[in-house]
Amino acid sequence: MSGPTALIADDEPLLRERLRSHLGRLWPELAIVAEARNGREAVELFDLHAPQVVFLDVQMPGLNGVEAARSIGRRAEVVFVTAYEQYAVQAFAQGALDYLVKPFEVERLADTVQRLQARLLQPRDSTGRPLESVLDELAAELKRRAGLDGSARRHLRWIKASVGSTTRLIPVEQIAFLRSDEKYTLVVWEGGEALIRKSIRELADELDPESFAQIHRSVIVNLRQVSQVDRGLNETAEVKLKNRNDVLPVSRSFVHIFRQM
Amino acid sequence: MKASDTAAIAPSDREPSSLSGAFTLPRVGIALALAVLLAAALNPIYVTPFPILLGRMLVIAMLLLVAFTLAGAWRVPGLPRWVAQVVAVALVAPIATFLVYLPSIWFPGVSRLHEGYVTGYTIIAGSALVIGPLLALGALYRERDAQARSAALHFELERSTLEKQALDARLKLLHAQVEPHFLFNTLANVQALVESGSPQAGPVLRSLIAYLRAAMPRLQSVSTTLGAEAALVRAYLELMQMRMPDRLTYRIDIPEALGALRFPPMALLTLIENAVRHGIDPSEDGGRIEVGARRDPGDGRIRVLVQDTGVGMQDSAETGTGLANLRERLQAFFGADAALELHEVVPHGVRAEIVFALAEDNTVDATPALAGARP
Repeated sequence: MSGPTALIADDEPLLRERLRSHLGRLWPELAIVAEARNGREAVELFDLHAPQVVFLDVQMPGLNGVEAARSIGRRAEVVFVTAYEQYAVQAFAQGALDYLVKPFEVERLADTVQRLQARLLQPRDSTGRPLESVLDELAAELKRRAGLDGSARRHLRWIKASVGSTTRLIPVEQIAFLRSDEKYTLVVWEGGEALIRKSIRELADELDPESFAQIHRSVIVNLRQVSQVDRGLNETAEVKLKNRNDVLPVSRSFVHIFRQM
Repeated sequence: MKASDTAAIAPSDREPSSLSGAFTLPRVGIALALAVLLAAALNPIYVTPFPILLGRMLVIAMLLLVAFTLAGAWRVPGLPRWVAQVVAVALVAPIATFLVYLPSIWFPGVSRLHEGYVTGYTIIAGSALVIGPLLALGALYRERDAQARSAALHFELERSTLEKQALDARLKLLHAQVEPHFLFNTLANVQALVESGSPQAGPVLRSLIAYLRAAMPRLQSVSTTLGAEAALVRAYLELMQMRMPDRLTYRIDIPEALGALRFPPMALLTLIENAVRHGIDPSEDGGRIEVGARRDPGDGRIRVLVQDTGVGMQDSAETGTGLANLRERLQAFFGADAALELHEVVPHGVRAEIVFALAEDNTVDATPALAGARP
């Protein structure tokens, strides 16, 4: 078997270069067989070259470093390179993986090199490391930070609507109410009105029920924009909105929404 | 009614919200009380029994009040409301008096038309003619006074709300710090340049210093110019391009004439950071960022835009507090009309536009202290 091999994955070329040049000095026998610019390339190149060591940047476009590590599993020694703060680093530490915090000192890299050299001398063991659970945790953490919480159901945060010749992106917080208008739905928000193709029924499913409530067969209101609810005759009600003149009907079957308010 | 007329007589000319709203209890009370007083005052010189006299007075007072109220609701083009109301009261005074005398005149056998009626009619109609319009003017004056007070109160409320919003926005800005992630990744790149002895190290450090100076909360001022913001954005984009040369290209094109416009600090940068973080950074292929500004030829408003060809906005992507804060800050700075619009770019990407009206004092002269404070 020839000398040890490694793969470097980082989306920032200067940082790949720096790592490569320091590794060249600290560990001349280590051959850098491939450099990847993102997680997907890292996995592809890993499958192609099967290096023994993988240096993975955590934040990379597309597939991130943690997801790439899950895919590589225990087929290589993984060293994370990250600019993340302490608590994320602790999670790496628990997994008995090595990690480097950017910008790292050369001395710290020398430690990592020693650790890797020692480990490569040992026979590969398949015991002990609770790698998967740590990686799962980390992946969830990264998702949460990126605002893409995978665990909870994702609610609609934006509504896309054609206004004139462009497509406006309307943050749902700005929406006052939605009302069905024959085949379309009328979206009324702080910046104007627009028709979209989604039905009230679909929207009622996709919008966050914490903020939006259907109050009528054809009306969904943003609860945070409601200023008052007036009881009407026959178990119905009317909703008035902040800074608006619109009065929305609440039909009998939806009046209960406002009962405990 | 012409718009100029409306403006000239506002706010006293605002329509009462409804007819019943104008027919208030205090008004009815005052009208009735005056009728009683007048009846009592005239009683000695009348042969008519007091109850009949009082009845006549009360009916006249009510008729005048009805006339006043109806004239207020009935808008005559070109005629201010208060004139209509006073004239209506003056016109109705003799007619109302005539009406209350009708039964006495027509009841055959009860009484006959004689000189006493004419005198009585003249006295009552005369007093109604004098007191009615005076009372109407008084009521109108009170109404205007109340409206002015409510307008002042409303204005005060609006002002304090705006002040609070401006303060909130400022506080939020103070809390918005340089992201450690960005800083350490950038420093790692600078370190790589320095270690390799690259001539690029110097310029990159300059960009980093310019960025940090502008982004440090303690060094921020209340207002900057669009040109200075563009310089800051250039520094930031230079840093990002050093970090991802194969994934980011950009162009900044702010016309010189617009560079002197007052602008809230960090507003443009927030949009650029957003475009990088949510558009370019998640994309393996990266994209292009274009920054521009123009005056809308239609409405004369200024549009500052940041367009990226990144991954675009997912329906469920977190909106983030950054953009909501920015919207608040823009409105606190430029007024409630200022808007932050987001548009989808085809085939993928987002265009953010800051839209605001050009205030008269929006020149570089308005902020002389800033000229030296900015790189």
